[in-house]
This record gives sequence, structure tokens and C-alpha cells, in this order.
Amino acid sequence: MLTLKIAWRNIFRQKRRTVLTVLTMFGGFTLSALSIGWADGTYNRIIEMFTRNRLGHVQIHAAGYLDKPSLYRKIDDFTRVGDIVENTEGVMAWTPRLYSAGLASVGEKTAGVQIIGIDPVRESKATRFEKKIIKGVSFSEVPSHEAILGKGAARTLRAEPGDEIVVVSQGADGSIANDLYNIVGIAESGDAAMDQSAFYLNLADAQELLALGGSIHEMVIIADKLDDVPEVTERIREGLNDANLEIAPWQEFARSFYVAMEADKKGSWVMLFIVILIVAIGVLNTVLMTVLERTREYGVLRAVGTRPPQIFKLVIIEVSLMAIISIIIGLILSLVINYYFSVHGVPMPMSFTYGGMEFTHYYSEVNAHSLYLPAITVMFSALFISIFPAIKAARIAPARALRSH
Amino acid sequence: MRLYLKLAIRNLFRNKRRTFIAGSAIGIGLAALIFTDALIIGMEVNMVASATESYLGEGQIHHQDFRSSYAVEGTINNLPEVIERLEKEEIVDKFTQRTMTFAMITSPANLSAVSMVGINPATERDLSQIDEAIISGNYFEGNNPRDIIIGSKLAEILEVDLGARVVMTVAQANTGDLSQEMFRISGIYHFNIKEMDRAMAFVRLPKAQEMLGIGNEVHEIVLKFSDGSHGRDRSLPFWEEYSNDGNEAVSWTVILPELDAAFEMSQFATYIVGLILFGVVALGIINTLFMSLHERMFEFGVLRAVGTRPFTMARLILFEAGALAALSIIIGAVIGFIVTYLMTQIGIDYTGIEFSGVTYRELLYPVMTVRQYIEFPIVVFLFTLLIGLYPALYAARLSPAKAMRRSF
Amino acid sequence: MSRRFLKLIICLTPVWLVISGFSQEKGDMDVESIIRQIDKLYRSESSYSEFEMEIVTPHWQRTMSMDAWTIGLDKTFIRINEPKKDKGVATLRIENEMWNYLPKTNKVMKIPPSMMMSSWMGSDFTNDDLVKEFSLYEDYKYELIEIDEGYDNRIYVNCIPREDLPVVWGNIVIAATKEKYTPIWMKYYDEDGKLMRVCNYSDVRNFGGRLIPAVMEMIPRTKEGHKTVIRYIKLEFDVKIDEDIFSLRNLRANK
Repeated sequence: MLTLKIAWRNIFRQKRRTVLTVLTMFGGFTLSALSIGWADGTYNRIIEMFTRNRLGHVQIHAAGYLDKPSLYRKIDDFTRVGDIVENTEGVMAWTPRLYSAGLASVGEKTAGVQIIGIDPVRESKATRFEKKIIKGVSFSEVPSHEAILGKGAARTLRAEPGDEIVVVSQGADGSIANDLYNIVGIAESGDAAMDQSAFYLNLADAQELLALGGSIHEMVIIADKLDDVPEVTERIREGLNDANLEIAPWQEFARSFYVAMEADKKGSWVMLFIVILIVAIGVLNTVLMTVLERTREYGVLRAVGTRPPQIFKLVIIEVSLMAIISIIIGLILSLVINYYFSVHGVPMPMSFTYGGMEFTHYYSEVNAHSLYLPAITVMFSALFISIFPAIKAARIAPARALRSH
Repeated sequence: MRLYLKLAIRNLFRNKRRTFIAGSAIGIGLAALIFTDALIIGMEVNMVASATESYLGEGQIHHQDFRSSYAVEGTINNLPEVIERLEKEEIVDKFTQRTMTFAMITSPANLSAVSMVGINPATERDLSQIDEAIISGNYFEGNNPRDIIIGSKLAEILEVDLGARVVMTVAQANTGDLSQEMFRISGIYHFNIKEMDRAMAFVRLPKAQEMLGIGNEVHEIVLKFSDGSHGRDRSLPFWEEYSNDGNEAVSWTVILPELDAAFEMSQFATYIVGLILFGVVALGIINTLFMSLHERMFEFGVLRAVGTRPFTMARLILFEAGALAALSIIIGAVIGFIVTYLMTQIGIDYTGIEFSGVTYRELLYPVMTVRQYIEFPIVVFLFTLLIGLYPALYAARLSPAKAMRRSF
Repeated sequence: MSRRFLKLIICLTPVWLVISGFSQEKGDMDVESIIRQIDKLYRSESSYSEFEMEIVTPHWQRTMSMDAWTIGLDKTFIRINEPKKDKGVATLRIENEMWNYLPKTNKVMKIPPSMMMSSWMGSDFTNDDLVKEFSLYEDYKYELIEIDEGYDNRIYVNCIPREDLPVVWGNIVIAATKEKYTPIWMKYYDEDGKLMRVCNYSDVRNFGGRLIPAVMEMIPRTKEGHKTVIRYIKLEFDVKIDEDIFSLRNLRANK
């Protein structure tokens, strides 16, 4: 207790030295907290760009659909499934989809298309479908034989909003599914390959065309928070408790993307590691210098009868106190800065639109590990390095130390 | 002048321990900057390579309508002239020609819609990694025109293995007449890219041209620049120069804009982290210098007391800072070189699989450049001097008595 | 057009020509003449038929009835009569061009060549059913073989395609009656000798003076639960057909 008091007093006595040491530690803390928050923010943004836009955070299919898509691997009672999903904690929105292949023709042009039945109201809430419309309008809320074409498909078919489009496919009962629709809009999803063949219909229209009653092939779920996706997936699994349904988080159904992201993250972790290393070295350097330059002071302490363990403790406590002060200041500052940038972002040199989402700013992120990682780094390197000078200080012979100046 | 230098160096060596600590701290900072820069360049090279090396190429030339229609007739206009120009083009390293058609491939068990790509095996080797991705059979060895190389997933769908008989059906140019040929599977590749493994089949260029009835025409020229960064340069005159006569020349960033966007985002994040690193290093320099100079105020006080003039005082300290910086630069360059060199040899494990149809190479290699050993040391040196200015001025204005009192 | 349907239309012509061409004369087990007779099939001038097509899949089963007109191999016109839902759907093929008429939308849809190919995807038939312009006699090696099925009145011919012939089969085994060379079944094997599909012929009837199996059943061995059966109700050869039938105007005419 007494040592703590002395340490405290020492810190304030040597204001300049303290300020310098604290500045290094706190600066290191803040900078590494910022870079972690920044890297996470960007990654989450890219992930968000991919999932939020079309794929969703969690998908539900009939068992086996993802492996081998078929018209007959369908979810029959999707409204019941939807009710359960809707009431699951952490779920923000869900939307049903129906898929099939067909031939579509506008005027003299015919091309193969992927028929995608969507619920415009739910789709717009979940994936902001209406923002993907680059020409014309989105669906009306009531199914009224409207169609929306992907950008590439519209180009192939030379189609414009206002044109009529005939589509032919095979119904689930084997019948020749064919009908006439009015093109109301052209959509760009951000996935050019998909836009090359996308043909959107209102879910009810698509179900009627394909004789699929109230069935769907895919349910896309958006979670409130990207980080909570694994837990939300688990809760949905428990809630549904149906072996005939496959409930997969984006890490599974977009596995290759997930792996690529993890790999890219790894690359940035190398850089974060370097940042942290430099911070650690800075802290080591400062503490080492402080202690070494104070040999004389410790000599005096020894001369007045302070026992070596007490000096050891004194040095360690002094450094710890400074580290704690630095971390507290750093915590506050980095929280403020990270929060600011997570809300306001940094404008991009060149903004771009991806699948209806406009990217104009880079955003940082406030999260736990952007705070505790730097805290551990600063605390650990400060303590680790102070051990050696502390031992040295404790062992100092009073006479020699005093002679040293 | 020489006297100051001598004094500064002697001062540095007087307290070897302190100098060593300060020197290594600044040096490691410099090493980190060098390494990070090499890493950033390496990541960039990796991204571009991942995007372009497997199949896409850094640039492509087509008939202007080909990318939207994929019509068999949509062959490159004035092909001999285009090729002649490309051969003379200094920025173009390598190129290859391809035909590309929608086709139907049939096996006894199944059939599947694929892209049939006619390639020139010798030049294709430099532009894509099909030859490296072969998992069974070989890459167009011998000269059997009925050789066909297909993806692993397609082989699975067709239930065929090496040597199996398949029939390829295409529609010919202009007439739309169907043309069929028998091929035997001579190689199976695995890219771990779903689209490529499932929906592509490669045959020899002359055979493809014969089937399509397009003579010596081709649909696509894929090329690689001598400098990889050209591919991402939208203002490169090359694109304009080859987009004429009804042809269009496009960069891979035009073909895969979403990938380019993602790269841009992650690259920007990398630069920000790099910038932060610079901040950390700068902080380290400030700290080191302040520590090593400020703690010596007693000494400077003595110097002032014995009559050293303020200006001389400041100069002395600045010279010492400069000498320290020089020493740090040597330490830093050596450490930076060793670490970066080791990493360029070992590579950083960066195992990724696929993203937007592009396979990541498995190891990341930092790229060392001469610039890193010129620019960063200069920046570190100047920055150290700049920081040294403060203690120098402070010491110069110090009253001898006060300095001596305060130092304890 | 539904893929299955479209592909069947394409396949129909050569298939029934194969059947109809078998000679009624008594053969003498001369394998060359059997093969030559099969080859002759492709030289039929014109035809009109009414038939039923039953498609069985693991998910559904349906029977359609249609009318078909053909001239040689180049022109085909087919119109669906049953079931009600698909009544009036018609397809016209002239050489490489193909159109569908959809009464529900009152539209004619032209199928581009590339789509003609992809539309056979997932079918029980393979695309060499379509462009079979080579002859068994010239392009295949053939020989009589013995198969112990316990029938005395059957002969078996094994046909092996010329090396570079664009067909996927390793060999085709044809079983026919000894008496009239009426086909009983054809089995298609891959080069490893694995049976890939079976075509069964039954219910031999007299159509316009020719004895022809009225029922043909196609069973792909690679797809479980799939089967296609064609039953001829009416079949007329070398009838006079108005060329106007093969016109876009007729395609639209909802008879």
C-alpha cells in the first residue's frame, strides 16, 4: 500500500517523463485500436455488401437443394416457417424465393432465363430490392403479371420497360408452363453473371406459372447484426427443429467467399501484428529508458535503506500505473474516434454502386477486440519489459549508483 | 562541421546502451515500414495475379458485340493486323487466341451445356493455369485433334473418365447448322472454381475453328502486360488504341467490376493501416529522441554553464539526432532487408480458395523494391531531425542553472 | 417449350422412321441386309401420325396426345391436343430453325440454335437422336451375335460406331424377330460395356400395310424412375401433305 502511494507520487513528481511514457503507450493503444476497428469495419462492409445485397445472412432450403437444385426440393409451408423465423430473436427480416429455368422471348429475341419469384415487400425490406432497379420501377405490391429483367438479360433480349415478355418453362406437374408478362423494370444486382439471366416475377405469379402452389425454394434471412449470425442460425435451427430443412449461415452457403475473406483478413492481421509489435517496442523502449536513466534515484533509495524487493515492486507498480492510465485515456479516445468513423465514415476517393447499395464512405467499427487486444499489448509489453530494469534497479549498489552521474 | 559530427558520434558512443536502445527502436520502426510496404505491394500483386492468372488475363480483345451476344460470327475484325500490332507492342508481354462458343457436350450417361473454348496449347500456357490445374491425364500432349480437356465437376456430371468418348455439338457461324464431333477426354482439370470446373471444355484451336466454320478467325485475344499494374490502369492508351475497327479492348477490371471494387476497398483499408503504422513509428521516434535527449538536460546544462553558445548547443543536439538517425537507418535497413528477404523466400501462408470466380494463390510473397530502401530511410532521417529540433531549441534556450537543477 | 417436350419433338422423327422402315419381307439372317434395311428408313418421303406420349418421372406422370406431320427429315409440325391445359401448343421445325406457338399468350417464339441444344438438357434422350445423318451400314461395323435370352425366334446384331463418329455409344445391340426383323429392343452401351439405355418395342400393328410396333418405351438407365412411352394410334406413310402446314401462318392457326 505504501509502495503504491510512493509510486503514485513518483509518477506525478516526474511529470515530463510520465507524460512522455503515457503518450507512447496511449498513442500506441489508440493507433492499434483504430487500425483493428478500421480493418474490421472494412471487412464487415465487404461482407455486408455481399450478404445484405442478395444472399442474406442465413438461408433455408429443403434438404439437398443447395447440393443439387431441383424444382421439387421445395419448402411447402413457408408461411409457418416464416412465422417461426420472424419470432426468432435477432432476426431483422426474411424473404421467400422461388427458382426455375425457362425460355423467355421479347419480340424476335429469345434467351434462356432463370425465373426468380420474389415477394416484393419482403424482398425490399430484406435486400432493398427496389434499389437495384436501374430503369423503370419495381413490382407493385399486388401480383399483376409484372416482370423485371436482369441488366444482361434485358440487353440480350433487347427489352425495355413497357415491353411484353413471354416465358416458357415446365410446371411442377409436367405441364407446359407459359405466360405473358409486362416488363416494368430492369435490375442490376451486382452479380453480372446472375443479371445475365435473371427474370424476376412476383412470387404468386411465379407459383401460378410453375404450378407450385404455396411453395418456395429458398428463404433468405437478414439478422440484426452480422456478428450474431451464428447464434441466430442456431436459434432458428432449434425453433424449426425440422430435419427436412437445411439452415445455413453465410459462412456455409457462401463458403468460398467466407474463406477468401478469412484469407484476406489474415493478410491484414500480418499488418496489425506489425503495428502491435511497433507499439510494444515503443513501450519497451520508453520504460527501459525511464528506468535506466533513473539509476541514480534508485541508488538514493537503496542508500536510505529501501530493500531490493520494494524497489522492484515500486518500478513494476509505477509502470503498471502509467500503463493503466494510458489504456484508460486511449480507451476513451479510440472509442470516440472509432465511433465517429463508424457513424460518419471517411469519404471514398471514388464512390461506387454495387447491387443497389451505394458505397461512398469507408467505415470503422467499434468492437470488443479492437479494445482488448491493444490493452493486452500495452499492458503486457509494459510489464514484461519493466521486469528487467526493475531487477536491475533492485540490485543496484547504493554507492555505485550515486557515483554514476 | 566535422567537429560537430565527431562530437555527435562520440556522444552516441559514450552511452552505448542508450544509443543501442534508441537506435534499434527507430531502426525496427524503419524495418516495419519497409516490410509493410513490401507486404502491400505483395498483396496487390497477389490480388491481380489471382484475378488474372487462372484464365481471365489482364486484358482481352473481342469483337465489340461479342461480350453481349456471344455470337459465333462475332470474331475479331482484322485479326492479322491486330496480331501484328500486338507483337510489336512493348507493354504487352504475352498473348493468346481463343474461340469461345456455347456448346452441348454429351456422354453416354448425360449431357450438359458448356462453353467450348478453342485454345492454342503452347501460348495458352502463359496466359492461364489450365496446364497447372490438370489432375489426371495431360495438357494437350501429342497432337491428336480429338483431345478434349474438361473440368472435374463436368467429368462427374457426364460420368466419364480419361479416354472416354464424348460428343460436342455446336451451331456453326452464319448458317446455324449444327456441327458435331467426337472427342476423347485427354485431361481433367480442377480449379476449385465451380463455374470453370463445371461448364468449360477446352479443345485445340484449329479443331474448334473447323467445327464453327470460322476459318482462321478467333473470338478472343487474352493478353498479359509486362507490368501487372497496367491491367488496372483505366487511362492506359492501350484500351483506346485497340478499341477500333469494331473491336473492343477491355481490362479485367471491366470484366469483373465487383472484384475490382472489393480489391479497391480492401486496398484502401490496407493503406489506412499503413498510415497508422507510420504514425506509430513516428511516435516511437518522437519518444526515443525525447527520452534520450531530455534525460540529458543535466549534461546540456553543464555544457551551457561552461559557455557553449545556444546556437552551437542546438547544432550539437541536431547533429547527434542526425547521427542517431543514420545509425538507426543502417540497423533498420539491415533488419528490414533480412525479414523481407526471408519472407519473399518462405512466403506468408495466405490460404484462400475462391472469390467471385477467382482463386487466390496460396502464399503471399512480399515484393522488395529499391524505392523502399531510399524513400523510407530519407523520411525517417528527416523526421528524426525534425523531432530533434524541439529538444535542440529547448536546450539552446536553457538557463544553465535551471537545467542542472531540473535534471534530478 | 418444356425441355422434355421439345426434345421429344426433335427426337420423334428419326425414332419412328427407325421403326417404320423395317421390312416385312422374310429375311434370311443376312446381317448386311438387316442393316441396309434399317438405313433405308431415312428415305421416307412424308408422314402423318396421331400418337400419345406418356412421360414418367419420380415427381409426375402425364400423357399427351398429338398430331404430327413430317416431310423427310427437314420439316416437322406437331400440335398438342391433350391435355386440355396444353391444347393448341404447336411446334414447327424447318431444318435448323424452330418455332413454338403458345395459344395461352398467342405468341410465336423462335428458338435460337444455341437454345435448341441447351433445351435438351436433362432429357432421357441424347442429342445424337437429332442429327443422325450417318448410316448404320456405312458408319458402323456390325455383326450377328448370340445372346441367350431363351428365345429361339430372335436375332441379335451388335453395331459398333466408326472410331471418329460423333456418337457417344460404345456399341448398340439390336434384337429383332427372326421372321420379319421387327425390332424387339435396342440396348445402348458405353465403351466400358455398361448399359446406358434401353428402348423396348411392342404391340406390332399394321399401319398402312406395314407391320410396325405401335408402342415404344425409352428407359434411361442413368436416371431412376424416368421413362418415356410413345403409342401410335394412327400412322400414315407417303401421304400427300400440303406444304402450307409447315408455315408460321399455320403455326398460329389454332385449329
